[in-house]
Amino acid sequence: MKKNLLLISILILFSLSPFLTSNNFLIRFLTDILIFSILASSWNIIGGYTGYASFGNVVFFGIGAYSTSILMSNTGLGFFVSMILGGIIAALFALLMGLPILRLKGHYFAIATLGVAEAIKALVQNLNITEGNSGIYLPPPEMSVDGIYTFFFYVTLIVLALLLFLTSIIFKNKFGYNLKAIRENEDSANSMGINTTIYKSAAFSLSGFFSGLAGGIYAFQQGFIKPEPVFNVLITIKMIVMSVFGGLGSLFGPLIGAFTIETISEFLSSYFLVAHTLFLGIVIILMILFAPKGMLDIFINIRKKGLSYFRKNIEEHRV
Amino acid sequence: MEKDPVILSAKGLTKKFGGLTAVNNISFELKRGEILGLIGPNGSGKTTLVNLLAGNLRSAGGEIYFNGISIKGLPPYRIGRIGVARTFQIVKPFPGMTVLENIAVGAMNGRSGKKRTIKKAFSIAEEVLEFTGLSNDSGSLAENLSVASRKKLEMAKTLAMDPEVIFFDEVMAGLNHKEIDRSTEIIQKIRERGISVLMIEHVMRAIRSITDRIFVLHHGNKIAEGTPEQVLNDSEVIKAYLGKRYEQLIK
Ligand SMILES: Nc1ncnc2c1ncn2[C@@H]1O[C@H](COP(=O)(O)OP(=O)(O)OP(=O)(O)O)[C@@H](O)[C@H]1O
Ligand SMILES: [Mg+2]
Repeated sequence: MKKNLLLISILILFSLSPFLTSNNFLIRFLTDILIFSILASSWNIIGGYTGYASFGNVVFFGIGAYSTSILMSNTGLGFFVSMILGGIIAALFALLMGLPILRLKGHYFAIATLGVAEAIKALVQNLNITEGNSGIYLPPPEMSVDGIYTFFFYVTLIVLALLLFLTSIIFKNKFGYNLKAIRENEDSANSMGINTTIYKSAAFSLSGFFSGLAGGIYAFQQGFIKPEPVFNVLITIKMIVMSVFGGLGSLFGPLIGAFTIETISEFLSSYFLVAHTLFLGIVIILMILFAPKGMLDIFINIRKKGLSYFRKNIEEHRV
Repeated sequence: MEKDPVILSAKGLTKKFGGLTAVNNISFELKRGEILGLIGPNGSGKTTLVNLLAGNLRSAGGEIYFNGISIKGLPPYRIGRIGVARTFQIVKPFPGMTVLENIAVGAMNGRSGKKRTIKKAFSIAEEVLEFTGLSNDSGSLAENLSVASRKKLEMAKTLAMDPEVIFFDEVMAGLNHKEIDRSTEIIQKIRERGISVLMIEHVMRAIRSITDRIFVLHHGNKIAEGTPEQVLNDSEVIKAYLGKRYEQLIK
């Protein structure tokens, strides 16, 4: 409880930042962190809480981005309506994709999701409606320059807050317990009366919905999108690294992950281009070896157990 | 209307694994409120039969009726919701969840889950915890439990589902004498609650003391059925299952 209170006050301070600084680059950077927080928290629903490590979640981000763009530039719908429709389209896609693919387990599931994401990218690169590799322009927001930065910051923050609120409710209720039960032992969950297919698909859709919203925000913020960047597998990798780094299956873990990883990788990528992907790889390896339960768990346990915490993890999780 | 005295019946169940017939044309009836024992040597098809009954495997033919409705071909979760619960011989706890949460998942689902709020589910889980003697382990993660407690947890998870029928697959294996007596007592009390039980067990002392009837599998075939007295003295059963040493012991 104390731990949550601390995080909530940090969050509140964070949410006031557009009033605390007039540096638009900083606000933009914080918005990027928020977008990644949404993506990592969404990934955490299916990968962390439900135990199905998706390697294709970027597909929902991409579908959300493209749906929003197409709706805004072709039908003249406003941003919010388009973004929400984009989220819904991503959620429906997750449902359709999940029904066959969620029958697979472990690395088979991971590979299948990766495959679908790459296939959809190829499709988007070759369709007329998505304008192939030349990309789509979106109508620009009609606001002052400073207003634009503040606007995106708050839209993203609200979506993130909604996601966290929903997640915290879900995991105090039957839906959440059943998802965890599926993660912990799917056979037992099934025999106890849990329709595992429905639950997994719902979790996947929810993950897809919020990733889709993030895609919509990103597209409108950029003003122009292309297939390669919005379906980039590196975005999925980041979602995973952030969740693992912060703590799988915890509410605030992915936020800690998004904040830390994005800050470090921003710093690295402005100095060395290759270094930042190398960094992501190193983070994964170190975390899995020394602290597979993430930073949150370290904070909680290091005071009690000291360095033996790391030793114990290495012993327990030796591959 | 009078209730059918038979709550669950199976007719002609068969399961082959490649060339091996693990369960061969098995029929039996479980009466309302009875404890039916299922015994047989290792690999005789007991667990496979439970897997067929609980929907984890599909029978090549035959029928399964529960309360007069056919449940053959239903997925496990439908069978769990209809009021038939099972334990797993190789226990399947939710390792990263607390013991109380493990049991609460049963209470939220199973036969009565839809009628229960989350709070109600947890209060039922508390009761079951008490009933099975797991109160001291309430807050521990299931992965940290002893063998005996894990077996109890398997039982507790099924009980919370508010079932009419439970299949216990060797819930006493690996327990010491005291723990066996304790589990025997629990199964007795479960029957007193009106639940019908099919129990697979190698522990003869328990089988003899609480079952009403027993049937015996050998290489997937039913070789005997009757009261414990009849079955445990049947010469074919002794020959097939209990072995020469037991024969000498009786003499
Ligand atoms: N999934 C499977 N695939 C192939 N063969 C199997 C499978 N499950 C069981 N068998 C085989 O079927 C036979 C019956 O196995 P089963 O587990 O039902 O025996 P059991 O009576 O429960 O034995 P035990 O007392 O050791 O638990 C065994 O020969 C076993 O090796
Ligand atoms: Mg067995």
